[in-house]
Amino acid sequence: MNAAQRQPAEAKFEPLLQFEMEMGTFLSDWHHCDQLSNFMARMISHNRTDPVRHSNFFSSALNELLEVSFRGGSPEGRIGCSVFRQGPKERVRLSFPCSPTQRRFFGEAVARTHKGDAYARYLDAISTDLAPSREIVLLDLAINFDAEIRLEEDDPPSISIIVDLPLEGIVS
Amino acid sequence: MSTAVLAAPFQAVFDANSQEFSLAGVIRPRSVDEIAYSITEFRRAIDEARGVLYINVKRLAQMNNTAFHAFSRVVLDACRTRSDIRFVVVTSSVVGWTERMFHHLGKIEPQITVEVYDSKFYPGQSFVEDTSFIPILRAQTKMTWRHERTILPRHGMRPGIAMADICCGIGDFAVLAQKEFQPARIVALDHSKPSLAYARKVAAEFGVTGIEYTYGDASEMLLEDNQFDFVTCRHSLQVFNQPELLLKELYRIVKPGGRVYITNEKNSHCLGEPRAQSIQWTYNELARLLSHFEMDVELGPKSRRYLADAGFDDILVESFMITNLDGDPQDFADVIAGWEKMFAAMAARHGEAPKFIDRFRQGFRDHIFAALHPKGYAGWPIWAASGRKPL
Repeated sequence: MNAAQRQPAEAKFEPLLQFEMEMGTFLSDWHHCDQLSNFMARMISHNRTDPVRHSNFFSSALNELLEVSFRGGSPEGRIGCSVFRQGPKERVRLSFPCSPTQRRFFGEAVARTHKGDAYARYLDAISTDLAPSREIVLLDLAINFDAEIRLEEDDPPSISIIVDLPLEGIVS
Repeated sequence: MSTAVLAAPFQAVFDANSQEFSLAGVIRPRSVDEIAYSITEFRRAIDEARGVLYINVKRLAQMNNTAFHAFSRVVLDACRTRSDIRFVVVTSSVVGWTERMFHHLGKIEPQITVEVYDSKFYPGQSFVEDTSFIPILRAQTKMTWRHERTILPRHGMRPGIAMADICCGIGDFAVLAQKEFQPARIVALDHSKPSLAYARKVAAEFGVTGIEYTYGDASEMLLEDNQFDFVTCRHSLQVFNQPELLLKELYRIVKPGGRVYITNEKNSHCLGEPRAQSIQWTYNELARLLSHFEMDVELGPKSRRYLADAGFDDILVESFMITNLDGDPQDFADVIAGWEKMFAAMAARHGEAPKFIDRFRQGFRDHIFAALHPKGYAGWPIWAASGRKPL
């Protein structure tokens, strides 16, 4: 989907901040996830009701998303992250290159966050899995951050994960 | 962006005496291998514990799923092999996501419970956070500001700085500071949600923007290290049962070379004429009464020692007297009337006899009498002190 096609869906969302970088550069250091999530969280939270706690919450969610792209992304191409706002909600659009296998995986994982058994799956994963899968990370966002998650398939090899986070309501 | 927090290591510490395993800071490993030592320590803590093991995550600012999963697995596995042990995860209401995430563990294993520790975390909290006291707080700030606006620059307040007002209450001091000194940034933190709501409402009504009001626990703040040029904490060390803990946090968030400014009272030095003896008796008794609630309202002159013990240098201490002659004597009288009401309630709560309470109240009424008397004089002394965090 190109930018023009996306516009109506995001017409009510006000753009706040975005970054783009070479995926190879992003993947060169794990701490980029932490650094970028903290920086962006601080920037976009400054005019929320409780900036410090909103920033803490938002950084948690964004870091998990960036870690997902770090673990599932391909080194060629660019990663882009945009944050929008509508009322009490922030929208994160995270685009990054990944393999066809990863695209299928993300499609299935996002679909599972909408299913009725999402919470049972989440508890089961905490209880039995040896390590957290990227599917569980998305479930974590849906359950602990009340996130609505969807996927947009950009021109291959890129993929965009769109996450709506109603954190203002949770924090305040 | 603060580099301090990015470089900040996390802490995982086991206190065998209290059977408490504490996790603090930012834990965002790429793999479990990076936190293997802490996981081993956690297993060792569980092995040593008998009865209840407390898992303290009050100061856990961030934890990614990799770390959450790793620590959760250890505790869940222990539940399956140790029916003799219970786990209590102690979270903070300030860091909301910890309560949400750790809450799930109790759904999986009934041996795990989650507690929010700061719903009542110091003895005098219910009195200090009583919203009926708001008009009195406003009047107090109005009276102290007449003095502090000239005192503050001597302690490091100046335009363009990053400032934090910790235990900001209803936020009026932060508003006055912003208008008078135009700091580049003000964070105002308090643990009373109604006071913060009031602060935000007042700021909005007066078109004041740029003050970041935040809910927080002053002894366990989410604020990053070395953030502020100037940190104020007014009339708060004296009502908190562990003032040294607050000072440790104030020290942590101020930049090296920056200053922490505190104000405190010595209530037994409140005075008035006429009826000096009755006034003196009541304020002596007040100091004694509040010590039962672990408040030290005699702290003012001890500020120098507290600041020195906390590691500050270049300590400045001065005192000033709020009096009935500063402005409208009725403002002074209104504040004392508010004190009478609040402190009489505390005396009753402490189980003082009605006869005592009557005499106790009379001292406040005599203080009001002195304040409003055409030839009277009434005073309320305050100590202002600051220290510099060494470079």
